[in-house]
Amino acid sequence: MSAEERSPRLAPEPVGRRDFLGMAALWAAGTALFAAGLGILRLPKAAVLSSPSRKFAVDLPGSMDPGTPYLPAGRTVAVFRDHEGVFAVSRVCTHLGCIVNPSPTGFDCPCHGSRFAPDGSVIKGPAPRQLPWFKVQVRGGRVVVDEGETVPAGTKVPL
Amino acid sequence: MTTRNKVLLLLSSLVTLALLGVALAQEHVFSEWRRIQRASRSGGQRAAVRLRQVYLPSLKVADRCVSCHLAMAPGEQDATGPAVVRSHPPVGHDPQAFGCTPCHGGQGRATEKEAAHGNVEFWPLPMIPKKYAYAGCGTCHTHLPVTNLARLEKGRRLFEAKDCLACHRVDGRGGTMRPGGAGGMEGPDLSRAGARGFALDWYENHLAAWKERKSQAWAASFGPLTEQERESLSTYLRSRVGAPGLMEAKALFHSLGCRGCHKVEGVGGDDGPDLTKEGLKDPGRLDFTHVPGGKGLDRWLAEHFRAPGKLVPGSQMPVLGLSEPQIDMLVYYLLSLRRTEVPDAFWPKDRIRVERFGEREFATDGPTLYGTFCAACHGSQGQGMRYPGMPAFPAIANPDFLAVASDDFLATTLRKGRPGRRMPAWGEKEGGLRPGEIATLVSYIRDLGGVPAPPPSLEPRRWAKDPEGLGGRLYGAYCSGCHGPQGEGGEGPMLRNPVLLESATDRYLFETVSRGRRGTAMEAFTRPSAVRPALSPKEVEALVAHLRSWEERKP
Amino acid sequence: MTRGGLQALWANLRSLPATFRDSFARGGAPVSDRSRSTFVFGNVFLHFQSVRVHRWSLRWSTTWGLGVACTSAFLLTLITGVLLMFYYKPHPEAAYASIQDIHFVVPTGRFIRNIHRWAANVMVVAVILHMARVFYTGSYRRPREFNWVVGLLLLVVTLGLSFTGYLLPWDQLGFWAITIGANIAQSPREVTDALGITSHFDPGGFQRLLLLGSDTVGEEALIRFYLLHVMILPLLLGALAAVHFWRIRKDGGLARPKDADERLGPLPEGTLPVFTQEPRKTYHLACLVRGKSAAVGRGPENTLPSLPHLFYGEAAVFMATVALCLALSILWNAPLKEPANPLVPENPAKAPWYFLGLQELVSFSAFMGGLGIPLLTLLGLGLIPYLDREEEGTGLWFGGPGGGRLALLSAGFGLAASLGVEAFAIRFGWLREWFPHIPQLVVTALNPGTVITALYAVHSLWAARRYGSTRAGATALFTCFLAGFVILTVIGTYFRGPNWTFYWSPALWPKH
Repeated sequence: MSAEERSPRLAPEPVGRRDFLGMAALWAAGTALFAAGLGILRLPKAAVLSSPSRKFAVDLPGSMDPGTPYLPAGRTVAVFRDHEGVFAVSRVCTHLGCIVNPSPTGFDCPCHGSRFAPDGSVIKGPAPRQLPWFKVQVRGGRVVVDEGETVPAGTKVPL
Repeated sequence: MTTRNKVLLLLSSLVTLALLGVALAQEHVFSEWRRIQRASRSGGQRAAVRLRQVYLPSLKVADRCVSCHLAMAPGEQDATGPAVVRSHPPVGHDPQAFGCTPCHGGQGRATEKEAAHGNVEFWPLPMIPKKYAYAGCGTCHTHLPVTNLARLEKGRRLFEAKDCLACHRVDGRGGTMRPGGAGGMEGPDLSRAGARGFALDWYENHLAAWKERKSQAWAASFGPLTEQERESLSTYLRSRVGAPGLMEAKALFHSLGCRGCHKVEGVGGDDGPDLTKEGLKDPGRLDFTHVPGGKGLDRWLAEHFRAPGKLVPGSQMPVLGLSEPQIDMLVYYLLSLRRTEVPDAFWPKDRIRVERFGEREFATDGPTLYGTFCAACHGSQGQGMRYPGMPAFPAIANPDFLAVASDDFLATTLRKGRPGRRMPAWGEKEGGLRPGEIATLVSYIRDLGGVPAPPPSLEPRRWAKDPEGLGGRLYGAYCSGCHGPQGEGGEGPMLRNPVLLESATDRYLFETVSRGRRGTAMEAFTRPSAVRPALSPKEVEALVAHLRSWEERKP
Repeated sequence: MTRGGLQALWANLRSLPATFRDSFARGGAPVSDRSRSTFVFGNVFLHFQSVRVHRWSLRWSTTWGLGVACTSAFLLTLITGVLLMFYYKPHPEAAYASIQDIHFVVPTGRFIRNIHRWAANVMVVAVILHMARVFYTGSYRRPREFNWVVGLLLLVVTLGLSFTGYLLPWDQLGFWAITIGANIAQSPREVTDALGITSHFDPGGFQRLLLLGSDTVGEEALIRFYLLHVMILPLLLGALAAVHFWRIRKDGGLARPKDADERLGPLPEGTLPVFTQEPRKTYHLACLVRGKSAAVGRGPENTLPSLPHLFYGEAAVFMATVALCLALSILWNAPLKEPANPLVPENPAKAPWYFLGLQELVSFSAFMGGLGIPLLTLLGLGLIPYLDREEEGTGLWFGGPGGGRLALLSAGFGLAASLGVEAFAIRFGWLREWFPHIPQLVVTALNPGTVITALYAVHSLWAARRYGSTRAGATALFTCFLAGFVILTVIGTYFRGPNWTFYWSPALWPKH
């Protein structure tokens, strides 16, 4: 005689319709906790992020070699000027966010070896996208770069 | 089996105990500052062995330097012991109120010599070499006012020639005689006269005392001075801020025209890197393969002046042909460019004057302005410069040029520059020149050439005509070799330049072609040469008209 | 009455030491096997071990004490970590200076920080070795499948603790580690961008935001990583470790071969066997639970009291781990690089050694290297016990079909495959260099990392077929995983220089 035969309490109890109450209670609890979890998911993103203005103005040198970027101090942007106009290329690697350094061929990323052409397109390495171009405006001889707004590559603004 | 485990436990525990002992000894027995303090005496008894620091939260200073340099610790000025235990030489700033690292650099939080002096791999700000000690002033004194070096030197020479050192001490020299006989006052130490300020009527006071003949010294060492001499002496005195060497270095920087290409504190050109924080450069990020000697920023900068391209591939910086003492001075000044954000309460007068009230940190007389912005390219005397790999820079003091260029032409050129060439638009760019300064420069440039402005003329700005269409052919034959087929410039300057064509009158162009420029390749074309006949005035006029034709067709 | 009460009070006071001891250790002083067993049984901390352990589990060669070493290292980091929290300030303005202060002026601070750092390193090594031990002794098998999975989670949390820890000083290493880590979290964009659906569905951007709390790496990011490091991950690790330990007991102690008793021979003299043939212990609660207690009905138990037999061994491993960490701490300081500079990354920017294999992988594709391949690897390892249901060789080193020879063969294959693919990629470049306009999805799917992974998977299937055994497949897969980890880590550590370019030695690096 096995233990289960000896004691009816050891046999599995069928969940009857009568336990609708219990099931409803459990589901309600589960749903409430899930909803609470969803609410908590909103917490990690503040409604306004504390990030400084990403617009800045630069003076370009009088003469610039078209392939050589001007690097405004304290910014992660490279500004180029050629006969078609001015454009600004981000220096934040599209791979994992390191700051790329200018090189004779364009830009090199120190972290994982991505290489970019001066126009930001990927030559080599793991970077999935080209370096974005930022919006540039010319105001009274000064160049205003907006790091918050990207423009399609190839958008040059005449100086 | 258990026995083996017991043995293992015993052994590993004993090893742990021993290692704890080693760590204890490492921390408490072998540290250098403890050794120094154990050998020192303070307040007449053995110095207490404990870490000391200068703690100034407002300057973010926690300098433990005083743990070894014991006599510099707060309240322990009388400490004696090994050589490092000595009190700070008297300076304008109390180390206990300003800390150590704001002036000297280094890693103040460290308590070991190598780390504290910053000569370790991962500390970006090693100590400033003792030789350049006053470079540390630049942390806060970002705008010490200077003239160019020639004026400063003139003042210093005059100060010595007029025997001022007989009574006054300056930078540790002089002050031996005592006016009024023995026991009288010696003249005040003037080493920091520029910082403390001095009586504006010093000359009148001196003159009165001299007339009274108070003592032999007055009679021997003073006499009437011309106004120019007085001004020169005052200039020298204003530069005595307690940082000898540094001021001369800064004056040299403002004599060589460095700001023509480099910005410092927002003023200067954009062709070279901004130098505002050059002295804060991390030597760990620099390439020392080609630098002889040690791995200091000073060595790197010095070698950079000798051969810029070797240290920075692709550098635009020309070899300036500086003497070693000049290089040393420039290194000194660059090391002092270490602007650091400090609370407003610590802002010195010079910084407030410039940043809050818009004054200049350099004198705004002609020679200093010229030395600050122009000298690198146009030469110290306006003779023009040639650097390998660059188009020649024009000789702006050329008498032939100045004879035809009006003041208005010079001012417009300064203001608007030459787009596409190295000459920046000084009147329009951020960090450029102010209208008054441009006027000062124009008259100084005229002084350099010693040629008065051409008389004002009533003729229209443009009058050249070329009805027969000779200009193009003539230009192709005689001009394009130097100025380029399309006037784009080559050996000679770029003529197809909107600002040049706009600001130059036809008379200016006409006279330039006719008379040429002595000392340059530009000949007087109305005189024949071995390879071409003389041009007639009509032909010259046609050439001018040809140049004008570029004006409409903008590039 | 009053006098009687006072007398009783006096008598109770006099017997206080004895009564307190009895209340503390119910079975009396642990002097005999019985009282020692009761002592263990009645102590919440000791009773995470069973009262008696099988003699097989006591052999050094069964475990080499690696699990205890992991726990010891964790305890060390826990204690030193709490001590460091007295001084560490999680704010970008203050973090670096607070580490300098810990290093230079806090008495024992430098030593504590060094121990924290070295114990963390020792923990990573011990966890990996422990995992290898469990695998090669076939101990992951039924009924221990779930504990293997818990162990994998512990590995992930351990690496997570290391990652969140080494960036707290806010030096160059830490700052760029946060940046790279946050961008790895963002790397699903590599796929969503390629599909053009990022503006609608952007899990990558959300994960990055979750980590950084801002769109730049700043104070919010630091406080989040700090919270992860000192609160969330340690609690998670503690909870998982509790499950891990508890499951060991519930799964019947450490795995041992079926013939363990014969292999061990008779009990040493003087030890008393325990019979559970007709167990007198009654499991009042357990009688409601289906099935048998794992210990019931196995004949004379070949066990020994865990006090003292097991505990001396464990204490020895603990103290040896402590000694090792202390020695390392005395010899080498924990690194502190330059203060963070958001404009200039280090070149090369290298993570600690145990992440350099991953860094090598992300240098091919951020998404695949940072998320895809690690998740695939975890999935593959996690599935092993569910796909290998064999029993032959459980509890024995390199047991089962293929055995040690297959492990060697797979090690050879694993090393050769990753070396070969790496050498090829280093020598000839990869797709992007040959076809600059190739779609990113192709590079994401087909890069040296995925090729190595695929080769390993194929090798594993081959081994399963060749030996007609799922265990053989598992052995091949796990061995390849270890080999790949070693090769990628070695390449990342010793052969990558500025711009992540290959160099034969750091001596050949260009000087900046």
